[in-house]
Amino acid sequence: MTLLIKCMHLPFSFSSRMVSPAIALAFLPLLLTLIIRYRYYFVLFYRAVLVRIWKDCVTGLSREERAFQYVLTNSTPGDPDSILDAFDYWCSKVEFISNIGPKKGKILDRLLMEQSPLTVLELGAHCGYSTVRIARALPLGARLYSIEMDQGNAAIAEKIIRLAGFDDDTVELIVNPSDEVIPRLRSDYNLERLDFVFMDHWKKCYLPDLQLLEGYGLLGKGSMIVADNVLFPGAPKFLRYLRKCGLYEWKIHRATLEYSRGIRDGMAELIYQGIK
Amino acid sequence: KREKHNGKRRNGDRQENKRENQRRKRSSKSVQGIREESQSKTERRERSRRRKGKAEHETSGHEGNKRERDQTRAKSTKSKKNIKNEKTRKLEGKEDGEAQEKSEKGKLKLVCTKNEEKIESGDQLKEKEKALGVKKKKKRRKKVVETSSEPETSEDGDDEEEVNNDGEVRPELLSPEELEKLKEAVDEKKKLIQSLRGKPWPMKQKLVTLRESQLFVEKYEGALGKGKGRKLYAYKVMMTKKWMKFQRDFENFKTACIPWEMKIKEIESHFGSSVASYFIFLRWMYGINMILFSLTFGLVMVPEALMGRPYGSIPRKTVPRAEEAGAMDFAVLWDFGGYAQYSVLFYGYYNNQRAIGWFKFRMPLSYFLVGVGTVAYSYMVVIRTMARNANESGIGDDNSFNFSWKMFTSWDYLIGNPETADNKFASITTSFKEAILEEQESRKDDNIHLTRFLRVLANFLVLCCLAGSGYLIYFVVRRSQKFALDGLENHTWWERNEVNMVMSLLGMFCPMLFDVISTLENYHPRVALQWQLGRIFALFLGNLYTFIIALMDAINLKRKEEKVVKYNITMWEATLYNGTGSENSTAPPITIHPADVPRGPCWETMVGQEFVRLIISDTMTTYITLLIGDFLRAVLVRFLNHCWCWDLEAGFPSYSEFDVSGNVLGLIFNQGMIWMGAFYAPCLPALNLLRLHVSMYLQCWAVMCCNVPQERVFKASGSNNFYMAMLLVILFLSTLPAIYTIVTIPPSFDCGPFSGKNRMFDVIQETLESDFPAWFSKVFSYASNPGLVLPFILLMVLAIYYLQSTSKSYKEANVELKKKLQMQNEENKKKNKQAALKAQMDLEEAKKSASQTAEHQRNNNDSVQRQEGENAKIYMTR
Repeated sequence: MTLLIKCMHLPFSFSSRMVSPAIALAFLPLLLTLIIRYRYYFVLFYRAVLVRIWKDCVTGLSREERAFQYVLTNSTPGDPDSILDAFDYWCSKVEFISNIGPKKGKILDRLLMEQSPLTVLELGAHCGYSTVRIARALPLGARLYSIEMDQGNAAIAEKIIRLAGFDDDTVELIVNPSDEVIPRLRSDYNLERLDFVFMDHWKKCYLPDLQLLEGYGLLGKGSMIVADNVLFPGAPKFLRYLRKCGLYEWKIHRATLEYSRGIRDGMAELIYQGIK
Repeated sequence: KREKHNGKRRNGDRQENKRENQRRKRSSKSVQGIREESQSKTERRERSRRRKGKAEHETSGHEGNKRERDQTRAKSTKSKKNIKNEKTRKLEGKEDGEAQEKSEKGKLKLVCTKNEEKIESGDQLKEKEKALGVKKKKKRRKKVVETSSEPETSEDGDDEEEVNNDGEVRPELLSPEELEKLKEAVDEKKKLIQSLRGKPWPMKQKLVTLRESQLFVEKYEGALGKGKGRKLYAYKVMMTKKWMKFQRDFENFKTACIPWEMKIKEIESHFGSSVASYFIFLRWMYGINMILFSLTFGLVMVPEALMGRPYGSIPRKTVPRAEEAGAMDFAVLWDFGGYAQYSVLFYGYYNNQRAIGWFKFRMPLSYFLVGVGTVAYSYMVVIRTMARNANESGIGDDNSFNFSWKMFTSWDYLIGNPETADNKFASITTSFKEAILEEQESRKDDNIHLTRFLRVLANFLVLCCLAGSGYLIYFVVRRSQKFALDGLENHTWWERNEVNMVMSLLGMFCPMLFDVISTLENYHPRVALQWQLGRIFALFLGNLYTFIIALMDAINLKRKEEKVVKYNITMWEATLYNGTGSENSTAPPITIHPADVPRGPCWETMVGQEFVRLIISDTMTTYITLLIGDFLRAVLVRFLNHCWCWDLEAGFPSYSEFDVSGNVLGLIFNQGMIWMGAFYAPCLPALNLLRLHVSMYLQCWAVMCCNVPQERVFKASGSNNFYMAMLLVILFLSTLPAIYTIVTIPPSFDCGPFSGKNRMFDVIQETLESDFPAWFSKVFSYASNPGLVLPFILLMVLAIYYLQSTSKSYKEANVELKKKLQMQNEENKKKNKQAALKAQMDLEEAKKSASQTAEHQRNNNDSVQRQEGENAKIYMTR
């Protein structure tokens, strides 16, 4: 507090002919309000940006590689649960990676259990957390196609998936941008219908990719689509489209952002109804 | 295309109907006619039933059962005809001639239907009724389709005629027995309508039955009377309908007459009732200010402007020579100096002449009485409104039936906006979650200490904040006094306006801080709103009183100055007259221009000016925050959202919410300042009226255009009286200093209506002595002596005590009655439960016996058994 007041005083004491310190002090409540109200965002900024830049400079590794190293040393190979736990610990205590996180992950698990889909598409594997999470909850004989755009991330995701003990028959990682892969899904991968789609890639791609899926007829009646982070960082166009188009029965599961308590976020759950 | 097809088919239908009608007319008054008609009725019934089944996808189980039952019976009794009907119906759309053929066939079947009627004697009537209801519906639908797709007026007319025929021709043709039956049926329907609420049916079925029976009653009730009676009845019905419509229109008109009602309703539908409550309060305040304004304007300002001495006639009505140069500058006028200061807007302009104008208007008396009257009126209105509100809201208790209240009353039916409805939905679900959690936690009873600690901590923080802001204002006021002693010209604009700036800024930012702190406390939003209101109230009150204390200091300074000036003036006058007197005593006294006469520093005008400036700066701050904080933010969020890395609208800055508590308090304190300053600046109510008017429109626009509904929308009907209570407190607190200055400080010697008097209220005594007969003043003096006043006050206190104790006892009686009602309810529930259980047992027994008999008969005869069993089944399902 006192430090802050001093800080406030300093610039104005030089120019006291212009603005009196009392007026400057009157802005103190505003400053305090902003700091308190948006503390979670400041913390997030610190953890997700500042710490990352600092560590990148110090270690010379990318964030995902650091996460992988930690997971490799701190988990049991072949046990998806321990891998997920290690990830959660690293992301909440050490650095920040926007995985789906344990809380929203539980919602995802529940939806998967209820649906028990046979063909699953995941957009945006990142470093494999959500892939492992989904693959863990799949029924026997189900197949997960995971799309990742970035080469480096995909390599790490591949390692994580193999570490968790899922082979090529269960999880197939496709390294390409989603808007290139989706049109080829039917021809190259012999997919007729997707039972479950999980979206967690670029928030701006949610809407175009959804429309691509619709356009290529990959969605059947009852297919479920789950989109993460629709409130923060947010996909407003996606939500607006959902409200308007009427093709889906949808709702938003409200939760908080992964590994952070105060920032609201939501997961959209869509069930494709088809044209009535 | 489909519609057209439908229309075509219906066309065919209609033609057929017409033909039937014609036939009916031809063979009217004959037995044949009745039969034929009933035949056509049954035929149509079948059709309508089928259509109904087609049209309504969703039918409740019970209804489905009934229809099934109907169909099975139809199959058993007249399957032959049914099949034919079906066939014809299929072909109906294609060929018109087919319809005719069908009707011919129907004619042939006449005998058959006669038999049918005998078989279905009892049920027939009911069935018919139902069918009629449905048919009517069908016809209506038909009409709608027709008018929309291909408007043919002539056919329309035919259709109507047909309906009339159905309603009117029939009953006359019926035999007395059938009339009897019809009457019975109507009575039965009426009974059904009355007892419908208690029936254990699904809602959909209830609605359908209600509508059908209402239609039936409406149709046949009038028709039962003969000739004149029927017409009279029709006339009555028409008139009642017209009357109802007129009443509705009149209500609409009345609502349209209430100012801003539609705007407020719209806001209410978007933002819930808590935001609307602010606007209703604003409107109420506007009404009060209207009356204050008309009082001061009509009884003080206008008489003075019209009948008082004109500008420039005496010193107090003239701008002094020193200020004359810049008296018309905008900066000076904006500060309410110059010509604005020397006008009817301020206290100092008024003359102490006892009566002005040709009808002897008692100006000083009027000024005093208006000043007292405005305050008295405000007290009266506020207290009366409070009492009324207390009557309305003092019934419910919040503690019992927590969950049922939530379950049945949490929806705000005034919401008309999908987004708000979404928010409300979310808030209801969260409130349920929270309530459940609370219930669990109250049982656990371990977290309560933490909550208490947090609440205490929050209050401590708020107190710190209040103390800090109080000290800051005190500091600023002290500094400004120092500046004033130095002379304001040596200082910058910032330093001169420091007090106002700091007060406005603190008033703006501290509530935000309180809001943030109050999240610690975890109250229900309604309670949180009240706490927030209380805190901001304390803050504003502190600010206001600091301001008043500073003003008192200024008044004392001015009075010291006044003494000096008074002495100087006597010296000046003496030298003036001495000078002239020594030269020539007979010469006329030198006329001095009133602008040159030295005058005292009129402290009353100074006080008035300060208040007006405060109001102006306050208004400006409000509007600027509105424009920057709400509008600019909304614009930025809206248009930067296209090129930003996260969702600005749903995420970090987002749109602002409407700040109910801050706005309400701003309004209340604004009013307090008006009450305080109106005595010294008669223009204040007018200014306030202007401000309220503008802010009504501006805020309505701003709310609709740049705010989003609160995340926790809640009902705020209870907090209305809270506003009123605060208003009352503010009224009291703001009249205190005004009364203090009026009673203790003598008025200035050379300005204002009370100049030359020792105290301002001396004007009353003066009026009593000179304007009223002697006996009146005597009576008044007797009445005002303590010997009479004290007993009177005592009596009043006793009366208040008595009334309070009686109201308390009434309240207790109320609570007792409520308990009794509850007990009775519980007992009734128990009784009902027992009755229902008994009925269930009986039903099961009946079922058993029925099945036994069915089995028994099955052994005997196959063919008989089927029918019997079906009958039994029908009985059961009914």
